[in-house]
Amino acid sequence: METETHAAYKSRFLPWLLLLPTFVILLVFLYYPTFETFRLSFYRVAFLGLRKVYVGLDNYREIFTNPEYLRIFWNTAVYSFLVVFFSMAVGLFLSVLANQKVRGWRFYRLMLIWPYALSPAVAGVIFLFLFNPQAGIVNYFLDVLFGLRPDWLTQPGLAMFVLVAAAVWKNVGYNVVFYLAALQNLPGDVLEAALIDGATPWQRFWKVTFPLLSPMTFFLFVMNTIYAFFDTFPFVDLLTKGGPNGATNILIYNIYRDGFEFFKTGLAAAQSVVLFVGVVLLTLLQFRLGERRVHYGG
Amino acid sequence: MKRILVGLALMALAVPAFAAKKVQITFWHAFGGGRTAFIQRMVEDFNYTHPGIEVKAEYKGSYRDTLNAAILAARQGAAPHIVQIFEVGSQLALDSGIFVPIEDYVPADLKFQLEDYIKPVANYYRIKGKFNSIPWNSSNPILYYNKDIFRKAGLDPENPPKTFGEVMKACEKIEATKAAPKCITWPLHSWFVEQWIAEQGALLANNENGRAARATDVYIDSEAMRRIVEWWKEMYDKGYYVYSGKPEDWDGANQIFVSQQAAMLITSTSDVTFMQNAAFENGFELGTGFLPIPDGVERNGTVVGGASLWLTKGHPDEEMKAALTFLLWFTNTENMVRWHKGTGYFPVLNTSVKVLEWQHWFERNPAYKAAFDQLLQSKANRATQGALIGPFPEIRTIIENMIQAVFQGKPIDQALKEADAQADKALREYNAAVGK
Repeated sequence: METETHAAYKSRFLPWLLLLPTFVILLVFLYYPTFETFRLSFYRVAFLGLRKVYVGLDNYREIFTNPEYLRIFWNTAVYSFLVVFFSMAVGLFLSVLANQKVRGWRFYRLMLIWPYALSPAVAGVIFLFLFNPQAGIVNYFLDVLFGLRPDWLTQPGLAMFVLVAAAVWKNVGYNVVFYLAALQNLPGDVLEAALIDGATPWQRFWKVTFPLLSPMTFFLFVMNTIYAFFDTFPFVDLLTKGGPNGATNILIYNIYRDGFEFFKTGLAAAQSVVLFVGVVLLTLLQFRLGERRVHYGG
Repeated sequence: MKRILVGLALMALAVPAFAAKKVQITFWHAFGGGRTAFIQRMVEDFNYTHPGIEVKAEYKGSYRDTLNAAILAARQGAAPHIVQIFEVGSQLALDSGIFVPIEDYVPADLKFQLEDYIKPVANYYRIKGKFNSIPWNSSNPILYYNKDIFRKAGLDPENPPKTFGEVMKACEKIEATKAAPKCITWPLHSWFVEQWIAEQGALLANNENGRAARATDVYIDSEAMRRIVEWWKEMYDKGYYVYSGKPEDWDGANQIFVSQQAAMLITSTSDVTFMQNAAFENGFELGTGFLPIPDGVERNGTVVGGASLWLTKGHPDEEMKAALTFLLWFTNTENMVRWHKGTGYFPVLNTSVKVLEWQHWFERNPAYKAAFDQLLQSKANRATQGALIGPFPEIRTIIENMIQAVFQGKPIDQALKEADAQADKALREYNAAVGK
């Protein structure tokens, strides 16, 4: 084994040398900022670091006792749950449909994946236009059909709905790509056996297909969670700015706001740490629980 | 051979030109779109007429982005020479300690230009008797209205509402006659609240709006604020007031007005040029009027909004000098005239106003007149001087959240009290962080 791995390189240092650029980039752009974030979370910082005072755990105390912040955590949980659930559910549903050999299947698949190619900023602007209460097309049709013109962004529930819809719409394509790939790699013999045994389509899906897809579901769960936590900033910034009255203020947006608009870098760093720890815990939990349920056979 | 010799001779001549290096000045601003090009043209004119100086103007995103970028660059010792900072960032800029008080650096023979600022502008930017920055783009809010809709509703198109009560009455008529789907819009922005506070002669912070000494208490739970919020809430509940749903959405409000979904719009005077073009394109007649104010109070005036230009410290003398040369050129009489005509921002120098008057500009362009008269009629006192509060950006968000909470049904008393406490806390933390 030893000799084999080294066989490609004459010198023992060459592989390390080749890896060096990667390490440097990781160190400079990943590990150092992470370390700095942890450090800054113990300081009260003014003007992006021009002045700072050590305050121990004060920032964390503030985050975990101030009702405003507790509300942000709750918003983040609700928002992330909805985004992850619907991204995956809709993604799976559409990929099962797109997996069928119907006329024009190539076209359907392309169309389903398309939104993923848009940048979140563009997607956010599209939804802003769609749901504009006065000039938006959604309200135009609702008005014509039902005589309704809801103020989408001024009602907390509706504003949350628009935000979730935008994030899901943008990310469904990603889920479709992976689910489609997984569906096409399913072992045909198992499904055939189920068919011969007289299982209904409903049973075939839930008893055979879905369990076989579980590794992919597991992977997508992690990816979608990361997406919901970190990549949804543009939607909030463009659509609601956290409003109405903080009803759609989620952690990633508030970190930006505290850090770069309100110059509370220490507090923002502490929130980043909380978010970081949250994602790590969630991922670990998933690996622990997931290991038992996930079926890697096939 | 001859050609080569000539070539060499030419090159020899060219060398001294290279040796006399131009002084490089960087200027960061927050104007995108058409205004970037406008600024670029002015900078090119400057570079052409000042062969020893090369100014480079860069668009850095929003006001907040620009300020952040400047602070970060200063930390790394690579600050741009000139930075545009929004008016409510003034206290922040002072506290950051990366800028010089500009008045100390203006050469004696150019000091006269500092005496030329129109009073309301000098009033805002002269902090403790001294200009810390050069006032540049200045604006305040006015009422824009659609004269065609006014006619349809049977309202006098030459006499827009001047008070909250008159706005309410006009709205009743517009709704009754179905002249427009909605009556009035303006961005849900704390800026308008601040203006209405000043119009009533009230203060937003203690220590004379933070002008006599550092502010330590924000006045949100006040009589003046209550008048504003009560009227706004009633307008919203009756469906007269409409906004896009997003706070601080200037474009959203403009869109509602320009598409004739609402008869009136309150927004910055800096949009006069834009609005005139938009009205023309959409085929309606535009009118402008003073900002409507609460009934029963004397019109006290508005606070100058906009931004000013700050000079960062730590550059060699010749660069400081060159930067100042540019700054004073950029905001001189003729360039202020040009800037005003191109954007609608105020001509902030008395001499520029004279030039415009001599050209009969305001008579030929009445839309610009309301804006300017309103500014000139503002009384000079602590209220119209505007508040200096360090964490102003955060306090704006607190005020905007409060308005939205009231819309959703939170009792006004409670909303004001809670917002007041939050703002005081923000101020306390800020003051502690800057060590004051």
